Amino acid sequence: MSEHGLQAVVEPTGEDELSGYLDLLAAIGQDFAMSLDVDETLRISLTRIMDYLDAAAASIFLLENNDTEIVCRVSVGASDITGLRLKYGQGIVGQSIAEQASLMVRDVRSDPRFNRSVDEKTGFTTRSILCAPVSVNDLYLGAVEVINKRGGDGLFEESDRQALRALAASAAMAIRNATLTRSLIEQERVQRELELVAELQQSLLPKPQPAPFPVHGINMPARTVSGDFYDYFALPDGRIYFDLGDVAGKGVQAALLMAKASSLVRCLGKTVHDPGTLLGMVNREICETAARGMFVTMVVGLYDPATGRVRLSNAGHEPPLHLMPDGHFDNFAAEAPPVGVSADLFPEGKFPETEFELGDGSLYIFTDGMTEGRVTGVGQLGIDGVKSYLTDFADLPIEERLEVLANKFIEPGVPLHDDLTILVLEKRD
Amino acid sequence: MEHEVREEHGLSIAAFRGDIDFNTSPEARRVLLELVENRQDLMVDMSSVDYIDSSGVASLIEAFQSAKTTGSRFGLVAVSPPALRVLQLAHLEKVLPIYDSVAAAADA
Repeated sequence: MSEHGLQAVVEPTGEDELSGYLDLLAAIGQDFAMSLDVDETLRISLTRIMDYLDAAAASIFLLENNDTEIVCRVSVGASDITGLRLKYGQGIVGQSIAEQASLMVRDVRSDPRFNRSVDEKTGFTTRSILCAPVSVNDLYLGAVEVINKRGGDGLFEESDRQALRALAASAAMAIRNATLTRSLIEQERVQRELELVAELQQSLLPKPQPAPFPVHGINMPARTVSGDFYDYFALPDGRIYFDLGDVAGKGVQAALLMAKASSLVRCLGKTVHDPGTLLGMVNREICETAARGMFVTMVVGLYDPATGRVRLSNAGHEPPLHLMPDGHFDNFAAEAPPVGVSADLFPEGKFPETEFELGDGSLYIFTDGMTEGRVTGVGQLGIDGVKSYLTDFADLPIEERLEVLANKFIEPGVPLHDDLTILVLEKRD
Repeated sequence: MEHEVREEHGLSIAAFRGDIDFNTSPEARRVLLELVENRQDLMVDMSSVDYIDSSGVASLIEAFQSAKTTGSRFGLVAVSPPALRVLQLAHLEKVLPIYDSVAAAADA
């Protein structure tokens, strides 16, 4: 719809006409108030306008295709031209829209702007045309056109032109309101569906486990749905699998891949007790089936409480940090690219692993929502900021610690910069 | 982000300048995929890339994967230090062919 600067103005010429307009305006207003079906309501209103002006036919043209075309949306009376498509500015109706002017052509035969091809197709004979732009302030929607006055000398009068301008303004308001209402309903529907996706995502995250279970996690989506995930589950022999991932991209596409990646780890992890081999299998599956350019950075680990040893495989993810009781940090940089980039990477498809002693330290795995997250008064936290927070809050109980850390990134009224997910592994009594 | 496409040493060179991020990566993706779909051997000149985020990396990966299926060459040349850090963090420098210069890519 165009934006220019005209407004349809009611210019009644006499008392009788005024009361006529007002009755008709009131009737049209009620038509629109009662219905969300714009086409049907336009048809009813257009019939009222046609009858009021004693015309043989009437139609409403609306701008389409970035205002390059005008299309007859509704047509009533002797000549049905619904669906007729004209170029912007074409014909008398096109000129009425382009110039935002109400036009009256008393005898079209002598007017070069008149487009005869329509009459040739319909078999209808157009004699006179009255057009008025349909617009609300700066929002240009189209035009209403009435054809051939039936009574008298068959020609429209100046008072008809002014009446049509007023009626067109009322139609414009109604079309705009109905369009706004429809888009609001659509937005609400999309939002409801996103909330269902978010609910499903939350159900994929593991439930918190009480001590002595050694893993705890937190996830805060930046929008309704998230591309981050974490999971943990115990094997029958007591070892514990844990994983955390971040899908490149946002929105529903990322949410779907997140669901797939996390389900693959959980399902394969029950039989494949080897993080590197497991990541290799997930990689091949995702390379085979995910859309090109979609990838997941992820870390998968297997912790054995009996020995205190951790086996870790990192596919393109931010290095996990191992904080020792003396305040020293070890980090485990990625030794493989993210999952989903290339299927044929390592011999036998096994991703590299590292093994270390957890000791009395804490292993933190987190997404870039933490390193790139913004904290009030600090700005982007960066890896040094993350380390400093982890040191500061090391003495808090595990659940409270993750809450406090995550809350550092929350500023009332400001959406999160990115999804934020943190997972911690440590011995608990 | 700005870009230009040129021919050098028999290779198509797509040079990007500025940030390849969530807002600009769709444009980078369009440029790269169009060249790859024309089965041209493509090198991305990243000497003037100030910043690249995961959506920018995703555009490179998608072009790399598409080039694999069409059988044409794809690689990065003269990657700026900030962009290289991002690629190294994700260990992607081991997957995406990276060359010091267009001449080095042509000789490879």
